Amino acid sequence: MDAFKLMKELKLNYEQEVYYLPRETGLSLIEAATQDDSRISAKCRDAKVEDLWSLTSFFGYSTQTFVLAVNLLDRFLAMMRIQPKHLSCVSLSCLHLAAKVTEEECDLASGDELIRIGQCRFTASDLSRMEKIVAEKLNFKSKAVTALTFLHLYHQIALSHATDRKETLSLEQLEAQLRACLCRIAFSRAKPSVLALSLLRQEMEARRSQDMLEITHHVQRHLKIPDGELLYWCDLVAKCLSDYASPECSKPDHRKLVWIVSRRTAQSLHSSYCGAPDLPTIPEGGWGESESEDSGEDMSSGEESLSSSLGSDGDGTYFPLHLRRHLAP
Amino acid sequence: MSAISASEKVDGFTRKSMRKAQKQKKSQGSSQFRTQSSLVELSPLPQLKDAPSTEQQDLFTQKLQQCCMLFDFMDSVTDLKSKEIKRATLNELVDYVSTNRGVLVESAYPEITNMVSTNIFRTLPPSENPDFDPEEDEPTLEAAWPHIQLVYEFFLRFLENPDFQPSIAKRYIDQRFVLQLLELFDSEDPRERDFLKTILHRIYGKFLGLRAFIRKQINNIFLRFIYETDHFNGVAELLEILGSIINGFALPLKAEHKQFLMKVLIPMHTAKGLALFHAQLAYCVVQFLEKDPTLTEPVIRGLLKFWPKTCSQKEVMFLGEIEEILDVIEPTQFKKIEEPLFKQISKCVANPHFQVAERALYFWNNEYILSLIEENIDKILPIMFGSLYRISKEHWNPTIVALVYNVLKTLMEMNSTLFDELTSSYKADRQREKKKEQEREELWKKLEELKLNDTALVQNNSHGLQNAQNNNNNNNNNNNNNSNSHDNQDKSTAVGVSTDIQDPDITTATTESTTSAK
Repeated sequence: MDAFKLMKELKLNYEQEVYYLPRETGLSLIEAATQDDSRISAKCRDAKVEDLWSLTSFFGYSTQTFVLAVNLLDRFLAMMRIQPKHLSCVSLSCLHLAAKVTEEECDLASGDELIRIGQCRFTASDLSRMEKIVAEKLNFKSKAVTALTFLHLYHQIALSHATDRKETLSLEQLEAQLRACLCRIAFSRAKPSVLALSLLRQEMEARRSQDMLEITHHVQRHLKIPDGELLYWCDLVAKCLSDYASPECSKPDHRKLVWIVSRRTAQSLHSSYCGAPDLPTIPEGGWGESESEDSGEDMSSGEESLSSSLGSDGDGTYFPLHLRRHLAP
Repeated sequence: MSAISASEKVDGFTRKSMRKAQKQKKSQGSSQFRTQSSLVELSPLPQLKDAPSTEQQDLFTQKLQQCCMLFDFMDSVTDLKSKEIKRATLNELVDYVSTNRGVLVESAYPEITNMVSTNIFRTLPPSENPDFDPEEDEPTLEAAWPHIQLVYEFFLRFLENPDFQPSIAKRYIDQRFVLQLLELFDSEDPRERDFLKTILHRIYGKFLGLRAFIRKQINNIFLRFIYETDHFNGVAELLEILGSIINGFALPLKAEHKQFLMKVLIPMHTAKGLALFHAQLAYCVVQFLEKDPTLTEPVIRGLLKFWPKTCSQKEVMFLGEIEEILDVIEPTQFKKIEEPLFKQISKCVANPHFQVAERALYFWNNEYILSLIEENIDKILPIMFGSLYRISKEHWNPTIVALVYNVLKTLMEMNSTLFDELTSSYKADRQREKKKEQEREELWKKLEELKLNDTALVQNNSHGLQNAQNNNNNNNNNNNNNSNSHDNQDKSTAVGVSTDIQDPDITTATTESTTSAK
């Protein structure tokens, strides 16, 4: 697509994006909620989105599916007040909906499989019901304008401008960074176009590429994005990305995961370790009396060690009782 | 004996039930075939508790000597009275030695050891069941157990008596005695082995002069077991004793002990009947590592060297042992073996046998192991990633797939960046492979087409001789071939040259290629 068409497409999406934004008031409510049982909190939502990413990765779904699923989830949560216990069902139905419109038929995992792997307690019929509810409330047909849409467009624009340059902008890396950001509810407030542009800008700044930065300026001017807004989101993005790229690992909370093993393995796990034997420990090295064998002795020595290991009465021990009388000096 | 036909012997799946039904059921064995020259009846002696203290010593000795009389328990009807007398006497002796003080005078020691030797030291009978499988079959029990049990009990109380003096006893409980005792560990009767275990344990504890000898003899037994006979019933019991010995090793460990670990204990993992004594063996190995952590690397490398390749049951045991070792491993030692170890674990995780895969995946449920992995995630994740990702798509067992999800999720949370990198490079690799496969397919297709064209060329351009021969043969082959486009061609181009020269080689070659091109 040539540059002119791309810019046109960009403008079109920019006008559309407002329809796919989650309600601000809803998001604020979530962010303000504390960790009690009645409301979904930000931490809840973030954890759930991370789970969604694990599932996406596991089933081999594309980033598009994930981004769309998160978009649906945020919009739904911002619109409806739901109980935390239903959050799994809602998030899984968003994922399934997104997968159905994005992935190929053959790559699609069934609802049952999703539930089984996600270790959820509800049934497949619950899932399809919830899917209908979500689709209805959000008036979802098949697409949404998300940050990924813009990211792809920006990437193409950058490529078309930089064809004579050797630097290649990695779309995959940008997608990974977008995923990292989406795991935090704060970024759900950002307009997708701005969020994507912030990501792009961060990347350009990291590469210290003046020409590429020019492109971002160009796009910003084209879409009339105010400086302040862009800078605000750039800051947040920078912070998020530095956390993501840090070598420190987060301790996995594996209390959440259920480890189901087969009966046979469970049995063998219990019986395998015999534990401490019922024989008491025999400490090495006597109590005053030393062992007659030398400590450094090689095991392979044969008869010599046999004779040398005889007790202090060398003549008595080797010979059986009834013979000894004949040999007594 | 059983009548197994030759064909059944060759077929590996002879039904054990059939064989057992054919065999005469005899579950007791005894080799006490020492026949008395004449039937000697035992005359009951007065009770020890009734005897005055001055006579107790003599009475004790008399009773001991009386108990040296052996009886044949294979015959269940003879000598019943005498057998009962001996049994009662033995019982009495057990009580006498357990409850009284001052009974162990110096003169008693040789009598006691003599009585015990006479009763228990015997050549063990060969196994009734030549295909004895310790895990499945019932063991052959000792027929004379009613007496022998009491003898063992007596001997144990004797050893544990507070007045027991090793300095006196060592004249009688010597190397020969211990050697014979060790041979008895091959008994099929588990009750006997249990007694022997406790007795040998006490002897090892009390007789410092015999310790090196005992260790050496146990080594010999084990080495013979591993490399020569593959048969010994008492391995588990001996290992239990060794466990308590290893537990008491002084630090720094002697070279002899380290050699024992590497030359005997590790190779013992290759034994066919590992399941019978694996728990005890693993305990010994872990004890060694707790004593001296620097042994970790050679031990794990040894286990990896002997890793079972065709026995899944053993593989599960090995994995269990590895987990026990990892439970006590020091982080610095872990770094030394993490790469070869996780390469093996990565293979286990992808094993089609679900129990092996399950056991390997279950490592990720262990907190300490997780913390070790976390510290070294940059080395471990690349090793594990490939197989985990592959089996998440390909494994037949759904439980395994669910466990793999847990593991992948855990690893992802440890280091998302690295995980993402590995995912994308894995996907890129798969793309490349797919492309290569497609190219290969294309190539083969092209070759197929070329082949067809070539044979056509050959048949068109070859000199008349071949053509005529083809024609002759094609007439014969017409019946065999359907849709003979080439044959028709030949017929049309064949000039009516008839030659009688039939070179079979050429014709067969061309007709063969004709048929194959179809």
